[in-house]
Amino acid sequence: MSDKLLKIEDLVVHYITDDGVVEAVNGVNIGVDRGKTLGLVGETGAGKTTTALSIMRLIPHPPGKIVSGSIELEGTDLLSLKESRLEKIRGDVVSMIFQDPMTALNPVITVGDQIAEAIMIHQKVGQSKAAQKAREMLEIVGIPGNRAGEYPHQFSGGMKQRVVIAIALSCNPKLLIADEPTTALDVTIQAQVLELMKNLKDKFQMGMVLITHDLGVVAEVCDDVAIMYAGRIVEQGTLEEVFNTVKHPYTEGLFNSIPNIDDRRDKLKPIRGLMSDPYNLPKGCSFYDRCDYAMPVCETQKPPKIHFGETHFVECHLYQEQQDFKLNGGKE
Amino acid sequence: MSNKSEVIATENLIKTKKRSQGADVWRRLKKSPTAMIGLGIIILFLFMAVFAPMIADYDDEAIKMNIKERLQPPSSTHVFGTDEFGRDIFARIVWGTRISLFVGLISVSIALSIGGFLGAIAGYYGGRLDNAIMRVLDVLLAIPTILLAITIVAALGASVLNLMIAVGVSNIPGFARVVRAAVLSVKDEEFIEAARAIGANDFIIITRHVLPNSMAPIIVFATLKVASSIMGISSLSFIGLGVQPPTPEWGGMLASGRAYIRDYMYIVMFPGLAIVFAVLSLNLIGDGLRDALDPKLK
Repeated sequence: MSDKLLKIEDLVVHYITDDGVVEAVNGVNIGVDRGKTLGLVGETGAGKTTTALSIMRLIPHPPGKIVSGSIELEGTDLLSLKESRLEKIRGDVVSMIFQDPMTALNPVITVGDQIAEAIMIHQKVGQSKAAQKAREMLEIVGIPGNRAGEYPHQFSGGMKQRVVIAIALSCNPKLLIADEPTTALDVTIQAQVLELMKNLKDKFQMGMVLITHDLGVVAEVCDDVAIMYAGRIVEQGTLEEVFNTVKHPYTEGLFNSIPNIDDRRDKLKPIRGLMSDPYNLPKGCSFYDRCDYAMPVCETQKPPKIHFGETHFVECHLYQEQQDFKLNGGKE
Repeated sequence: MSNKSEVIATENLIKTKKRSQGADVWRRLKKSPTAMIGLGIIILFLFMAVFAPMIADYDDEAIKMNIKERLQPPSSTHVFGTDEFGRDIFARIVWGTRISLFVGLISVSIALSIGGFLGAIAGYYGGRLDNAIMRVLDVLLAIPTILLAITIVAALGASVLNLMIAVGVSNIPGFARVVRAAVLSVKDEEFIEAARAIGANDFIIITRHVLPNSMAPIIVFATLKVASSIMGISSLSFIGLGVQPPTPEWGGMLASGRAYIRDYMYIVMFPGLAIVFAVLSLNLIGDGLRDALDPKLK
């Protein structure tokens, strides 16, 4: 297991507000291997972004607080590092791509200068050298280098996201965190950007955490998948394991929420209800009140972690008694 | 080789683009006739301040008493007439421009740099530091600006330098508030978080990302404050706490001329008009800039 680039264990993150404590992340365990991509999937408010920001140590504090757990990057415990050391890691070893490229770029600085800034912070190079590297990065993401002197408002959304990617990759990070990188883009551009990220990941041999709520994106890019619900990983495994042998009712619900292109008469089966209130999580399984398979035990007891093979596990009471329990695909 | 020329070409490109952003603001400012009138007047004043020695001789016309020619009405030799000591009022107004503009700009620079620094760190770091800084400044803000300036001049003694300090210090809380508000509106933008994510430290974030994005309200406020500082300087001089006679200063001219206002009203009218036009023009420019810099009107 020395190939682990990132290892998160029992991460708990709370937001302490005047109205109470928001339990955003409640004991997350994930790992990313070198050169592999982990897809972190879940609906809005599941704690995906909070997990990502924890890796960067960028949780707004206050109100955010990493209560317990550990985050190890190549064996270094990120949670014990001082701010000045973190500044050296951010952008150099770990980079992040933000959700909305429209707001992630500084409107008053040229894109070339913004890429060069990251380079100049981490590498001891002069301004002209950094500017040259910035243009190379632009070329790599498919933007002509002579546009380096233009401002963000002169670019389209897809191109802005390319610029954001160029900034993130400018120092050859080992780990790239992409927080819903394609959500703000339209479908045609989405495919291009995903393709680009995939190629660059292979080229730079990076590990990647891809945060998304789009299972299509996951199928396209990821090696491993972790399904997140109410601050916990409810199912995790390789792409094939999770996609071919869905175990958790929530994962099944996610798949049923995708329109079926082969059967147009097929109706969508959304997951009923809303995610439980993070101020006041239920005592047992957080998915209890929305689950079609709910049993009395689900209400009172936290579901155990049940393994299927080396990589695939699920947190659900259904498999406690009978390992070979089959979900019925949401059919009544 | 070709790489190098490419670098130069791109650098040139960057420069032209940077200029074009300023040109954008200028283009919109040009559309406002009132701002252009203000700009015209203030350029005239600047011209007078810079070329004062060529327009009128300081010792001979603005300072030296000439009892034979006292209290003359405007004529071809004395365009604005002469005052109670026979000094040429036009010459004194021209030289007074230097003092008013100079002291106005310097005191605003003092207020902008100190108030701006305090406001920026208060807004950026927030929490207790913010509270500590802003509550102290609130105390200063509770004292009327002119009263605070009078107090400072009274304590330090009346001189041009102390005048600048007094007007500058009394403007610090205002600048701190404006800068803080501007910083607060920018600091939660996603690109600030993105900058932090590439490893930028607080200094880089404040100077490169936060402040350049909060310039618009600060520029407008500074322009308007130059105008009110000119008023402040004139007021202090009027009550004898500012520039001391015989140095020509608009407020001081008003003060010494007011004894003759019934029979020789031009003695106070012209310096009064000078103050009015200087303040009015800066306010017009400030309003024009506010519109020109507003991104919503793009």
